[in-house]
Amino acid sequence: MNGQAATRVAYRRGAALVPSARGSRRILAGAAALLLFTIGAFAPQYLANDFLLRLADGGLLLGILALSIAFLMSQAGLVSLGAASVYGGVGYLFAIAMSQWYLSPLAAIVASMVVVTVYAAILGALIIRTTPLAFMMLTLAAGEMISHAVLLEGLRDYTSGADGLVVSFGGTLFGLEAGDFANSARFWPIVWTAAWAIGSAVWAVRRSRLGAVLRATRQNEERMRFSGFDTYGPRLAAFVLANVIAGACGLLHVLNSGFVSPESLGLGLSTNALVSALIGGTATSAGPLLGGVIFAFAQDQFGAHGLTQLLTGLAIVVFIVLFPSGVVGAWRDFAQWIWRNRNREAG
Amino acid sequence: MIPLLIANSLALASLLIMMSSGLALIYGLRDVINFGHGALYMLGAYLGYSIAHVAGFWVALVASPILLALVGAALENLVLRPLQRRSHIEVALVTLGLGIILGQVLIFFYGGEARTVDAPLSLAGSVTAFGLTYPIYRLFLIGVGLSSCALLAIWLNFSTSGLHVRAVSQEPSVARMMGIDADRLSLLVTSLSAALAGVAGVLAGPYLSVDPGMDVTMIVSCLIIVVIGGTGSIPGAIVAALLYGFVQVAGSVFLPDLAALAPYALLMAVLLVAPRGIGRGRVLD
Repeated sequence: MNGQAATRVAYRRGAALVPSARGSRRILAGAAALLLFTIGAFAPQYLANDFLLRLADGGLLLGILALSIAFLMSQAGLVSLGAASVYGGVGYLFAIAMSQWYLSPLAAIVASMVVVTVYAAILGALIIRTTPLAFMMLTLAAGEMISHAVLLEGLRDYTSGADGLVVSFGGTLFGLEAGDFANSARFWPIVWTAAWAIGSAVWAVRRSRLGAVLRATRQNEERMRFSGFDTYGPRLAAFVLANVIAGACGLLHVLNSGFVSPESLGLGLSTNALVSALIGGTATSAGPLLGGVIFAFAQDQFGAHGLTQLLTGLAIVVFIVLFPSGVVGAWRDFAQWIWRNRNREAG
Repeated sequence: MIPLLIANSLALASLLIMMSSGLALIYGLRDVINFGHGALYMLGAYLGYSIAHVAGFWVALVASPILLALVGAALENLVLRPLQRRSHIEVALVTLGLGIILGQVLIFFYGGEARTVDAPLSLAGSVTAFGLTYPIYRLFLIGVGLSSCALLAIWLNFSTSGLHVRAVSQEPSVARMMGIDADRLSLLVTSLSAALAGVAGVLAGPYLSVDPGMDVTMIVSCLIIVVIGGTGSIPGAIVAALLYGFVQVAGSVFLPDLAALAPYALLMAVLLVAPRGIGRGRVLD
């Protein structure tokens, strides 16, 4: 439905503007985005204090995780309740790869991402065949499985059970030391760049043929199969991509915090990310990222009273019932409404 | 050894049957998986704990389910009915959110530490039969679980309202065309499911414990059971609950290190063989 509306809007815009004007508009939008990116990457370090920066770092990380959920939700109609299991799991893998397998930090990153990709492909191959509601239940079960696995007595030497693992590395990674990642001001440009890169990648996939096939399959799978499309492969690819995003986000998290615990792969974090996606709205790339930051600041207010999870629950209900398209969607609707009214008055 | 194993898995399965058949009933009527069902169970357990302190276990066993039935009626009237035109995923997410809120409110009032409930004196000891000593309370639990299962089967198969529930579960639109009031049935079924969750919660008190994580543990078990059993199929849910109870208990005896993963292994195995579960549930949509 969103896709159709977007096409209609694009068509109307295209009809109204001569091609050269449309081209120059695109250049203008690109320049604005570049400017926003550059300002955003450096300004906060000079303007915000350490506490705010730390909150913003966490918010953007949550936003990237939310983006992975939102991508699956908006394109494939699948809600994952197990995103945190990959996010935290990759942190454990990273730590274990360095301490037990004696890999260099870079090799550990590659190894843990490979393991996550394989895990996602196997899990996806099993559960993507089911329907959306069953998918939601199964991702919850798979996530809980990972949380239990980390706490197993037999793996205590690797995972330290409920205590969590301190993750640090010697030497440098991409020219940065472990301390640089832990420094909130140094970390901000890294997470900001990652958010832009992942957001753009998701944006590009959305506009690609894969995105179109996914959305058509979401609307009517039978029709797509009947028309000769493979509906299994694209959805599996989307699932793996969402998990790779969650894994990359988990790596950034573990580099930043230097610590990974069972809490970072629990259901609580998965639902927080889901809420961030709902707050921002799942239809855009910017929405979930913004939602993550909003949630992090709201959580800071609620968390002081120990009510973090209450915020999660309330936000799920409020945003699904009252603002199904999130703040970005609600803002767009509002802006369109104003625009229409103004045009009517003018015309 | 083997009889003990079977008895223990039956005791666990009794709780799971009451919970997952409630989930399956709501799914049949409303096409919604109630992700807040674990929180209802937790509410039942904490209410049972409070009432048992004041008036004793038996009063709690009656009062808590009645209160839960009222909560179920509220859930139907305030959530499921107004949202029935929304997509099923959205409604399921709303129940997830409400479940989280309910769990947090309970933790706010009762605090984060685990509570224990004593079994009533008449059920406190243990009994020896066939050379096996077994706690009476667990036998009672098995008795309640199996009889609620039997009552449910009798109601569904031999009463008019049960017939209507089955009709709506199988063919919602045709059943409505034949003049069945699905809204009224749904009120009945949601209250009944919530009441069953209340019974399970009170019974869980002396058997397991009453603690803040019990809702998530229970809902995850129930979701696994419902998927294994074939969503919406009550016989499937019952068989799956028995299977789950056995795998869980046998796992903790034979493979204590890996017991926590046994249910997930069962789930994956069933999904590989029969992606739609073992029962003949309606296809999820």
